[in-house]
Amino acid sequence: MFYQSEDFAPVSPDEFHNISMLLAREYRLLDEERFDDWLAMLHPEIHYWMPGMENRRRENPLEHGFFDSQHMALFDDAMRDLKRRVARFQQPSAWAENPATRNVHIVAGIEAFRGAMAGEYVVYSTFQSIRSRGLDEEYVFSGRRYDTWADVDGQLKLKKRLILMPNATLNCKNINTFI
Amino acid sequence: MTTMIKTVDVTTALSDVDRFCDIPNARISGEIFHRQDIYEQELEKVFARCWLFVAHESQFKKAGDYIATTMGEDDVIVVRQKDGSHRAFINACPHRGNKVCFSESGNARGFICNYHGWSFDIAGNLIGQHESGIYESSNFDASKWGLREVALIDSYKGLIFANFDADAPSLKEYLGPMAWYFDALFDNQEGGTEFVGGCIRSTMDCNWKIAAENFVGDILHAGWTHDSAARAMLGGAVSKVSDFDESYSVNWHGHGYEFALDTVGNVAVLGESALNKYLHTIKPSVAERLGDFRSNMIGSVSSATIFPNFSFLPGQNTIRVWQPRGPNKIELYTWVLVNKSAPEEIKEKWRKGAMMTFSPTGVFEMDDGENWEYCTKTARGKVTAKQDLYVGLGQDSLLQETDLPANVYSGQLNEANSRAFYQFWSDLLKAPSWNDVPNRNVGRVEAGVAAERCELKEAK
Repeated sequence: MFYQSEDFAPVSPDEFHNISMLLAREYRLLDEERFDDWLAMLHPEIHYWMPGMENRRRENPLEHGFFDSQHMALFDDAMRDLKRRVARFQQPSAWAENPATRNVHIVAGIEAFRGAMAGEYVVYSTFQSIRSRGLDEEYVFSGRRYDTWADVDGQLKLKKRLILMPNATLNCKNINTFI
Repeated sequence: MTTMIKTVDVTTALSDVDRFCDIPNARISGEIFHRQDIYEQELEKVFARCWLFVAHESQFKKAGDYIATTMGEDDVIVVRQKDGSHRAFINACPHRGNKVCFSESGNARGFICNYHGWSFDIAGNLIGQHESGIYESSNFDASKWGLREVALIDSYKGLIFANFDADAPSLKEYLGPMAWYFDALFDNQEGGTEFVGGCIRSTMDCNWKIAAENFVGDILHAGWTHDSAARAMLGGAVSKVSDFDESYSVNWHGHGYEFALDTVGNVAVLGESALNKYLHTIKPSVAERLGDFRSNMIGSVSSATIFPNFSFLPGQNTIRVWQPRGPNKIELYTWVLVNKSAPEEIKEKWRKGAMMTFSPTGVFEMDDGENWEYCTKTARGKVTAKQDLYVGLGQDSLLQETDLPANVYSGQLNEANSRAFYQFWSDLLKAPSWNDVPNRNVGRVEAGVAAERCELKEAK
């Protein structure tokens, strides 16, 4: 149902401003390797999902056209899984993170709507992730996100995120960041 | 009628094979990961002659189901036929060479080239073209211009392999006694295995042999390379492999399998106790089916490569093909394997667990990528590439007296499988034909009685 923005009412300018600030802050935290602060922005029941893209003909669609909830994914995580990923980044023996990977995350094309439940917002955006390692490695990929943010005690927390990358083959060796 | 493929002419071997791959002296040099001329020889003498994994039988349900993949750098389509068999065709139109199948999988009544409308049925026959009248007036013989069929296709326990070389040994002979070990993962339960849906593809700037060799017999790297991932998933270091009482490296014709007998050492790193429990639950039935010995291997600390570029990790159940894309680049095709008979929630935990650990977003795989890339990249240096690289661990570890099949070496912390991998590779580079490939195997072709404890039950 993540395509159906027509079902939802747009947010007020103030709400839009707050949500835009939230998305910008989230990406700044990731770029600054403030993973614990980033985890604190997530809802305890988060579903963080980046399905694998499959290059299928139009007459052979999967559950959602070119991806499927039962198929292999790049992320299909709950909070426990995301915490494990963060724990790996934070180990002194994460040799491949020293020197550090330098990240810039860019968010654009933000649309925000009131969700189906009170206190929930449906937020769409596009992203670009740029990473550099060593002297000359650079990895860039882009895509689209479909988020649900939910109010928890007066703070919005990320409850659902669907990340769609157009590439059916990831054009690099890993995704050693969050999107 | 499909058309027989024309085979690649086997060119003269490079003059310096023994220098860049000198296994008797336990050394190789970095240029094997970087030189374009060596890579061209590999495409012709390894990838155009060896059995290459193309698909799993579970990816096909009905006639017309297809998978598009590559064998070396050659695009192929594997299609299920009306009689349930599988055939493989070069994915290129015999008219101007355009691809006839642009999707990775699906079901089709046939394949139509987008360029001039040549149309093929699922058996590869050319059944029509746009403006067909013009072909008739040119006395065109459609029966001679079907899709070019890959010479050989066969399967082992659900794994479908194909081979461009009609003169190659049979798949059974090619796998030899290694099949006995592969059964620990691919045939440990009634009903066999299946792939979880989908395939994750990624690229790495490394030579294909680095990846294949890592899985053929390099558990040595795990305790060091993967310390951070193990601590994240398990809350502690990975099992210390040197502490195992009993472990082995076995190989045959360049294939290799290194393993401990701890049953769940590999599966444990997925951090899902339900999967450990599942393996312990099925273990008695595996012992009945395959014998006690192999029932200890179903998810133990282990890895394997079927030469040249098909690899897997029992327990993590990640299945790989390292597709060569030039000397300095691979495409990784990654799948997840499960027992068909496993409960759905167990299959689901494997789908996610393999993603969390050994996939481009997996916490273990993130440690490997940079190492593999720089093993390749340092060989850009003309001088660096000429220097010796050491592959000498375990040179006196061959077990002469054992009932285990294949060439058996004691201990997993051992470079015996890596040496056997590179030896077979260099033998192929030098061999004008399969008959010229020397037989260096010294082990048993069949498992002996002691290795087959409970074998009588298997033979029922």
